[in-house]
Amino acid sequence: MPKLIIDNLEIEVPEGTRVIEAAEKLGIYIPRFCFHHALGAVGACRVCAVKVLEGAVEGVQMSCMIDAQDGMKVSTTDPEAADFRRSVIEWLMLNHPHDCPVCDEGGHCLLQDLTVAGGHSIRRYEGGKRTYTDQYLGPLVQHEMNRCIQCYRCVRFYREYSGYNDLGVTGIAGRVYFGRLREGVLESPFAGNLIDICPTGVFTDKPSRYTGRRWDFERTPGVCIHCSLGCRTTVSARYRQVGRMEGRFSQRVNGDFICDRGRYGFYYADRPGRPRSGRISGQTVSVDQAVYEARDRLQRITEEHGPQAVGVIGSGRSSLQTQSAMVHLCRTTGWQGPVFRNTRITGAAADTAACALNPENAVSMRELETADAILAVGADPVNEAPVLALAMRQAQRAGAQITAIDPRPLEWPFDFEHLACRAEEIGEALASAAERLSDSRRPVVICGTEITDAGIVLQAADLVAGLRGSGKTAGLFCTLPQANSFGAALLDECNACAADLAARVEAGQIRALAVIESDLWHDFPDRPQLEKALEKLDLLVSVDFLDTPLFEKADIGIPSLTVFEAGGIYVNQEGRAQQVRPAHTGGLPITVTGAGDHPPRTFAPNVPGRDMPAAWVTAFCLAGQAPPETDAQMTAWMRYNFAVLSDLARMDADGVRLFAGGKTPIAHEATMPEKPEQCLELLLAAAVFGGEPMSDYSQCLRELAGLPAVWMDRADADRHGIAAGDRVGLGFENGEVSFVVRISDHMAPGVLVVYRHPDIDWQPRAGDTRYNIREDRIRRIEKA
Amino acid sequence: MESRVLLKNRKPDRILDLAEYRASGGYSAAAEMLQTGRPADVQEALEAAGLLGRGGAAFSMGVKLSTVAEYAPFPRYMVCNADEMEPGTFKDRVLIHTSPHLLIEGMLLAAFSARAEHGIIFIRPEYENAARILEREVALAREQGLLGKNIFNSGFDFDIVVHRSGGRYICGEGTALLNALEGKRPNPRKPPPYPTVKGLWQLPTVVQNVETLCFVPHVVQNGAEWFRNLAAGPDEAGTKIYSVSGRVRRPGCYELPMGTALSEIIETHAGGMAGNGRFKACLPGGASTRYMPESMYHREMGYQSLSDAGFRLGTAAVMVFDHSACLVGATVNLLAFFARESCGWCTPCRDGLPYLHDLLRRIENGQGRAEFVPMLREMAGQMGLAYCAFAPGAAAPVESLITYFEDEVREHIKAGRCPFREAE
Repeated sequence: MPKLIIDNLEIEVPEGTRVIEAAEKLGIYIPRFCFHHALGAVGACRVCAVKVLEGAVEGVQMSCMIDAQDGMKVSTTDPEAADFRRSVIEWLMLNHPHDCPVCDEGGHCLLQDLTVAGGHSIRRYEGGKRTYTDQYLGPLVQHEMNRCIQCYRCVRFYREYSGYNDLGVTGIAGRVYFGRLREGVLESPFAGNLIDICPTGVFTDKPSRYTGRRWDFERTPGVCIHCSLGCRTTVSARYRQVGRMEGRFSQRVNGDFICDRGRYGFYYADRPGRPRSGRISGQTVSVDQAVYEARDRLQRITEEHGPQAVGVIGSGRSSLQTQSAMVHLCRTTGWQGPVFRNTRITGAAADTAACALNPENAVSMRELETADAILAVGADPVNEAPVLALAMRQAQRAGAQITAIDPRPLEWPFDFEHLACRAEEIGEALASAAERLSDSRRPVVICGTEITDAGIVLQAADLVAGLRGSGKTAGLFCTLPQANSFGAALLDECNACAADLAARVEAGQIRALAVIESDLWHDFPDRPQLEKALEKLDLLVSVDFLDTPLFEKADIGIPSLTVFEAGGIYVNQEGRAQQVRPAHTGGLPITVTGAGDHPPRTFAPNVPGRDMPAAWVTAFCLAGQAPPETDAQMTAWMRYNFAVLSDLARMDADGVRLFAGGKTPIAHEATMPEKPEQCLELLLAAAVFGGEPMSDYSQCLRELAGLPAVWMDRADADRHGIAAGDRVGLGFENGEVSFVVRISDHMAPGVLVVYRHPDIDWQPRAGDTRYNIREDRIRRIEKA
Repeated sequence: MESRVLLKNRKPDRILDLAEYRASGGYSAAAEMLQTGRPADVQEALEAAGLLGRGGAAFSMGVKLSTVAEYAPFPRYMVCNADEMEPGTFKDRVLIHTSPHLLIEGMLLAAFSARAEHGIIFIRPEYENAARILEREVALAREQGLLGKNIFNSGFDFDIVVHRSGGRYICGEGTALLNALEGKRPNPRKPPPYPTVKGLWQLPTVVQNVETLCFVPHVVQNGAEWFRNLAAGPDEAGTKIYSVSGRVRRPGCYELPMGTALSEIIETHAGGMAGNGRFKACLPGGASTRYMPESMYHREMGYQSLSDAGFRLGTAAVMVFDHSACLVGATVNLLAFFARESCGWCTPCRDGLPYLHDLLRRIENGQGRAEFVPMLREMAGQMGLAYCAFAPGAAAPVESLITYFEDEVREHIKAGRCPFREAE
């Protein structure tokens, strides 16, 4: 380990550390524009110049380009280096438009900071400035090329780090241009990171444009809840609403970057239709009234028909607090549930994945980046857990061989081998592909739970166990349906699913349902069954922060708080419990009209809308108990009441890993039925934009979802005389749904893939996430 | 007395064809070396001969070949840099139009030394005639078994493709050229690793200038001693083609002993100063070298000699200025070229050169101020901290202008106009 001296301070750093990083460890910040610890050093901007006083190469050097060496003596304050840095900043500012007052980056702009810090305050250059035409890059990212200082971070992230090619550099010399060949929507689902890594205002957040400066926002560390990865975010809130989301560095989870679903998925939290008051039989009431009415009526049903007549349904999008309060609710009242999964098949896959994880085989996303071979089974990271695709790309760039076993037309931003097979053939393909990992030392098996079943997950876990048995540091990485599906698996005590409860409603055993933060309407595979069940109920109570159709239909509606108001603990798919702090106080957002009447002139002792409780508080109230008074007391209560959560005491900045420890997952015996003859198998799959209930409320993301489409293998399409772009109708038992056709050469034959889309109201027709379509029920409606 | 090695077969109106080239002893060096020699023989001969890269960097070709490790991976590449874009330089074009097979044989021998099987001639697109000549002659050489598989029954395979550049100055930079060949932006690469270790597609690659390669058959045939003795002085080696332009009577390419005095080049070979002008200064090696003032008029124009005096021979493109020439105006012109041709990668080059250009242009146009002079001096010096050698080269005329002709610059500022122009 080389030991060197920087500004008279000695430091020892690992071999290969750049001087700029060594200095940072000493707390010495050397200016930089092109250097970024995730993207590496390229020596383009030249602003990190230091003087090497003693060393192999002496004189002014770029500190990002030289490795720290033993005996090196470096000065960051040497006049020659400082003068050069000042010149570099002067050069960078020659063409900069100085439009800071109208630039959204102003206030958190690296160029602003370093220009001031570097001492360049008087403009000497009298020449003209070059100007560019900006491009439309879609609804998320605003382009302002005149501000560009050509650090090349954007294209290095976009092309090299994340693997998309529609943004690039054109031109040379002073006419270098960063943009698309033709203007249009950026193709990468990681494009929003351009906003974070651009050191000035070339790429800014479009939806939140002109809504506030960095210092106007309350900035709070957050955790993304739009998939199971639990990426770290920074939440910016102002006027009691979230305005902007940014990626937050995490050494264990997501590194630096997040996906655009996570960045822009938050608009559900302050949409006008959000439930903010109680509702009884369609009448608006106070929240307290709704809660007490619900408690009393549920109690009456319990008294009249026994506790078995009440069912409780939850989901994986609730915090661990809410989930544990729901379990407590059922423990104290004897009600049925809570159930956290919709069907046995998907529930069992997710539960099995959670229970298969142990301290030995669990790998974090950052550890996955160091894998030398990856086998992905029934997982489509780009759509199911986007940032995982970024991590896989980093592994691939470092030399990992990646193999995918999946029926879908996978489009991943890195090289991989795709073994396309039908969903029911995955197990077989996995068995024969296992030997691909035999030469590796650090293999990782990624297993999805969206289109697989518990059998596949177990097979993947067994494969990892076998690899570990043969001396490899093998890891298991499963993706789960929702942000806190892992927490649900840890807490579940009733071994049932929503479909079971629905059947009991139909059978007349259950007369009342309390549905807490559940997307049952959206996710339940058999909507006719659900509708029938709901009609039969005596009482439906819905507790939610989303105005789901279920909330609309409920006899009693109780609003709850979002993660931004209530915070909470969420357990990601590798069992990592992470604490989220509230980002702003609850209550109605303050409206700024700009018409001269700001601030609002109505005064009251309370914040309007502040009386909404978190869902876990409501759960305690329904149980007739007083909830713990503070968040800290609630966490202590959880540790005390649930042995599986006792490790929460050790939670630090990296969170804490919780494991199920030998818990038995929900059982599910039947595998998928064999595909009948003359049928194509329709697979309903996750899409990065569309189909995730919360982010579907974001208008800017809906724009990116495109048109509802069905993907077909080329041979299947040819057989039906269907071409790409045609409109086809797929005949289900109770009607036809029409889709635009996309054709792929690398998906499983005999399979139709439909990616979830906010405009497809699919449940009335498709019985499950897999459905058989008779070939004679595929009809071309319109030619392309 | 012109000593003609490379240009000895120069004809006024056509190239030396393959039959003529072979009749004059062409390909005999390659035949003998491939059949009886070892790859190391070529490298050792070149190193002993002290053949320095003629593209401007003056790095020993023999030493460069020695850095291709014996166990380095295959395939390896032999790249000929024919992207002759240094302003004032026109020797490679003349060489190709004189004797294309000399170049082909040179590449063959160099490739044999590096055990490279792929040859690429990277040529600037304005040299379309030269590119067609090369394509035609490469095909003829292939027909005669001088390229292709098992050349001279030696078991050695080598073939050449002609690749036209996208046509920017920076593409001629050795490492930028490799990026351009790979289809990437022609940004220079920062060694290490050097191209001989990880070059084209991360494989060992030898990049050499046309003129350098043309010497290889001669050195292999006649030996190091012969080559060294061609030079005019003991510290130099071989001959050099000087591309003489500017205010001389007979501009052109002159192959002379390395180290021939500047005065001799101008007076004896280029016919003296044009229009009875008096020598004021010259750029000795293309646009990216320092101005040589009058005091250097009798200096020997060799790599070592100029380097000792603080100058660079570069490509030996001698641009001559007489006392009627405004060097501020000339430098503005050069800077406009460099500011336009920067690849845009690093800040000093991309933004600093236009700044230098702007300051100097203001001086030339009579809007200069005294404080511009120290600014020019400081910034020209700081160009040395750019990513590659482009910006330091571009700044060399500016720095030497301020050093040797500061009075002329200040005269512009004082007069508020260019003293070389007629007063309006």
